Amino acid sequence: MNFPTSITYWSHFVTIAMFALGLLGFLLRRNAIVVLMCIELMLNAVNLFLIETSMRTNTPDGIILVVFVVTVAAAEVAVGLGIILNLYRLKGTVNLDHFKSLQG
Amino acid sequence: MLGETLHNIKLLAPEVCLTLFLCLLFVVDGILPKMRTNRFSMITTVVGCLAALVLTCKVGQTPEAYFGGMVVNDGLTKFFRYFFYFTAAVSCYLAFGSNEIEKQSRMEFSLLLLCTTIGMGIMATASNLLVLYMGIEMVSIISFVMAGFKRDNLRSNEASFKYLVFGGVASGLMIYGFSLMYGLTGSLNYPQIAAYLTSTQGNLGLVFWLALVLIYGGLAYKISAFPMHFWAPDVYEGAPTPVATFFSVGPKAAGFAAFIRIFLTVFSVKTAEGNWQMINGISLAHVIAIISALTMLVGNLSAIGQTNVKRILAFSSIAHVGYMLMGLVTLDRSGLTAIIFYLIAYCAMNLGAFWVVSVVSNIRGREDLDAFRGLGWSMPVLGTCMAVFIFSLTGIPMFSGFIGKFLIFGSVIKSGGFLWLALLGVLNSVVSLYYYVKILKSMWLDKPESQESLSLSFYHAVGLVGLAIPTIVLGLYFTPILEFAERTLSNIL
Repeated sequence: MNFPTSITYWSHFVTIAMFALGLLGFLLRRNAIVVLMCIELMLNAVNLFLIETSMRTNTPDGIILVVFVVTVAAAEVAVGLGIILNLYRLKGTVNLDHFKSLQG
Repeated sequence: MLGETLHNIKLLAPEVCLTLFLCLLFVVDGILPKMRTNRFSMITTVVGCLAALVLTCKVGQTPEAYFGGMVVNDGLTKFFRYFFYFTAAVSCYLAFGSNEIEKQSRMEFSLLLLCTTIGMGIMATASNLLVLYMGIEMVSIISFVMAGFKRDNLRSNEASFKYLVFGGVASGLMIYGFSLMYGLTGSLNYPQIAAYLTSTQGNLGLVFWLALVLIYGGLAYKISAFPMHFWAPDVYEGAPTPVATFFSVGPKAAGFAAFIRIFLTVFSVKTAEGNWQMINGISLAHVIAIISALTMLVGNLSAIGQTNVKRILAFSSIAHVGYMLMGLVTLDRSGLTAIIFYLIAYCAMNLGAFWVVSVVSNIRGREDLDAFRGLGWSMPVLGTCMAVFIFSLTGIPMFSGFIGKFLIFGSVIKSGGFLWLALLGVLNSVVSLYYYVKILKSMWLDKPESQESLSLSFYHAVGLVGLAIPTIVLGLYFTPILEFAERTLSNIL
């Protein structure tokens, strides 16, 4: 398949920007739900890169991996929201600064 | 085609067997709700693990890759499968004797434990980045749930959330590393990646090193090596003790399995004498040596000031990862034999030490050093077993931990060039004596607050003595294990 080079460069740029934004958000934001969303952003940046690579190299492996990454991300969010719900039930907030009971 | 598929599934028999036991538990839970509160689910889990152990022993005597080379069945796989099934069975037995796992939710605990065990098996067999990713996520996501098993306890939930968030980021970094590696080499299979790396003749660009760092980040999180170790003490402290016991041995060893496999098949090639050699242009020996040194130092130095025994043991488990990584520095038979021996010794002694903490935590409701005061005199079996495990963790002669450390340091010294690492390891063992002995001092030398009559239940005594015996025996008579490790290594694909 012919794949225009300009798309390759752009997709690399977008991937890196998305991944970096996710990582930054994870480090800076204090709301538990936003932190989970930032992790999702990182995983989706990877998905974009995998799809682009798969089309460029003309191999199916990347697109198959994308399906798995999406599934795993869904499972992770399901578990994560459950835990956040429980935390909210116990403490009445989802701000990470209020969770300090585990520091030795 | 059908015949080939059947043969492939036959090689995956232990996982299939565990899945069947998992389904059995599900069905029984659905139609007989009374079974939730008795020991049925524990017995099923233990029997399932033992059946998987036997199947591992019977299936696939010659090393081979199957399912299109995505999964391999060789000596390393077999060893780690034995290891995981044993650990899972012991953890399940421990959990059912602890009141931290409520009677009502024991069925869920067994289900989650079996599921994690399947995931760990997949991690050990993976020979493809996709399969490895699935294995790691299967272990991780279920571990998050297990860490938050005490639903009404804030600390347990906090531990679970911490584990989830950092685990999510670590796996995000790792999958980005995988995708870069895939973009570079055009394949997810280990042998193809290795072939590409060999063909570059040492001209590896920046992207390769970035991918390497990202993949290391994800795997280091699983084995809690520097710099991704920070979660371990918090998670172990907050999680129920039986779960922490399992985390400190099972998933950690699974991470090691993946780490060793990637190290040996992607970044190294096998030489004619049965040793391994790093691919031209990648020389990671010094990097691994520095990581191992930092992991040891961080683990041991942070443990010194702690007063919570679970935290002390968590830091000590980080330090032990540092010792085990030492064995990878040399990339030869003796180093890997030492790692395998160390893992076996670590399994018995660490499970035992956490077991003692679990018993104490059930009696007193807390795990700090004060809670251990005088327990050696009121429960001599518990005190003696703890002494055995602690001496072994420290590496005092006569116990299995000493032989493990002796083999690892010996292989590092023999390879030459890494004398400093071996010396640092010895110094670290001396430092670790300080915080380990604090636990023993509290148990045997401090007077108990009040005269109380405590007795260790037979259920726990069986488990503790059952783990203390191999810890002592392996320290005195270790040749069979060494021969087993040799056989394991000669079978690596």
